Amino acid sequence: MQHSFRGHHLTASLLALALGAGFDAHAEDAGDGTPSVAVSGFGTVGVVHSSEEHADYIASALKSNGAGATRRWSGDVDTRLGLQLDAALDKRWSAVLQLVSEMDLDNSYRPRVEWANIKYQVTPELALRLGRVALPMFLTAEYRKVGYIYPWVRPPVESYGTLPFTSGDGIDANLRWNLGPVRNTSQIFFGHADQKLVDPMRGYARRVFGLANTSDWGALSVRASLLGGEATAAIADQLFDALDASGPSGAALTRAYAIDHKQISVASIGANYDPGTWFLMAEASRTRTHSLLGATRSIYASAGWRHGALTPYLTWSHVRAVGATSSPGLPLAGLPPQVAGQVAALNAGLNQLLGTVPQQTSVSAGLRWDLRANTALKLQYDRATPHAGSHGTLTNLTPGFQPGRTIHVASVAIDFVY
Amino acid sequence: MGQLTPLRRRATLTLVMLLAGLAAPAPAAASELVVIVSARSPVTALRPDQVAAIFLGQSVRFPDGAEAIPLDQRLGAPLRDEFYLRVTSKTPPLLKAWWSKMVFTGRGQPPAEVADSAAVRRRVADNPGLVGYIDRSALDASVRPVLVVQ
Repeated sequence: MQHSFRGHHLTASLLALALGAGFDAHAEDAGDGTPSVAVSGFGTVGVVHSSEEHADYIASALKSNGAGATRRWSGDVDTRLGLQLDAALDKRWSAVLQLVSEMDLDNSYRPRVEWANIKYQVTPELALRLGRVALPMFLTAEYRKVGYIYPWVRPPVESYGTLPFTSGDGIDANLRWNLGPVRNTSQIFFGHADQKLVDPMRGYARRVFGLANTSDWGALSVRASLLGGEATAAIADQLFDALDASGPSGAALTRAYAIDHKQISVASIGANYDPGTWFLMAEASRTRTHSLLGATRSIYASAGWRHGALTPYLTWSHVRAVGATSSPGLPLAGLPPQVAGQVAALNAGLNQLLGTVPQQTSVSAGLRWDLRANTALKLQYDRATPHAGSHGTLTNLTPGFQPGRTIHVASVAIDFVY
Repeated sequence: MGQLTPLRRRATLTLVMLLAGLAAPAPAAASELVVIVSARSPVTALRPDQVAAIFLGQSVRFPDGAEAIPLDQRLGAPLRDEFYLRVTSKTPPLLKAWWSKMVFTGRGQPPAEVADSAAVRRRVADNPGLVGYIDRSALDASVRPVLVVQ
């Protein structure tokens, strides 16, 4: 509670800073190459209610709590504030700094440097960036924190919630090219990623490479992306140490499931058709992690109609595991009773981890109301069903949790950009 | 509401004009929009999709390969809203969402803005790289219309 309070205070300070800066520093250049600084920002204020009181509904695996078990109504699921400084030195050199404050795994709103990079515009079509940049993945992942851009309260959690890693440190190149009437943007990234988990734990990914291509043809936009890297995260270290100590079959389990120099990959292809008065969007993705994080396939489809300032929409979204979500663990046969008890506890611990591989289907209905040209109010209802014994995208389970029960989630959010 | 009103007003206007048209010769439309380049520019015509791509930051060149820099009218100007609605099918909130996407993915900043059609014409006349849109009534010999926005 104390942490949370301090977090809100920080958010308020950041907001004050951002608004204060926004009023006097929005200098715009006229494309003539004179130095300029632009201050912009985005934010969401949202509250979420979940019917499941034995688990928390979260929008990102990097949140310490959400709506449901911790609080029936939670402001932490979607609320965030972002501030961006764009500095252009001349026509070729520019720099960007983006700070984001949102609930993290430490239950605080401490601002994080989302991006900090310098950009060199080699030609009008080719740009190189060095520093912390957005990782090329998914259709809407690069701007998933800017609710104002998309119609929903949040991107479908089945696809986006479990892979909340948004930025990496390295170098990327963006190339724009035309093929007849089709306008393409291709991106390539190489570097590493470092994500704070629960302090002092961190997750690392080395030799991260990313490829993405977006093709726009009239109202149609198609994006394909592939991201890979070698990940290490000290999750459940004690369990894996104990398995290692138990002999060769335990060590084999550690090799299979510990997030220790594991090759991970995320591939997705998505399309958005948006002629203005309506939109239709769909995306399919698959992830492989060779670890306790499992292998999954996810898909969603969403459609909406724009009637003046109102945009009602419907979304169907699904994720399923394509790898192991349970393990027989170590054999208990022939073990002395005390040892068998300890080994059974290890097996249970391992299976609890594997149960976190999400399997869930949800149907959502929502309404976006554009209050003005930089503010939107959104109402959304989600009916989410974790299945196959998984607890889906939920977290903080309490003993009363029953897998397979449908949960009802109601959300209200105000998104703004400035 | 904010988006319905201009549309509805235009529909009403059209209806009034149609009725009035029985008596009067065809009056000038509420606003006739033209896309312009400098009279010194070699560009003679642009298609709506080419204009849309330039103003949405998707294309940085004229069809002949020369660099193209779009120039906007000020935020909230009716002419601006009409231009984007007709050329890109985007209402002001959709356009704001589009530029938020560009800005917050580090892909670009929206075009620079100037006060009105006369200011756009002056700036465009001086710089063959610029492209703007103005009310047809503001046209003069210093600029060349390359698209009449329907």
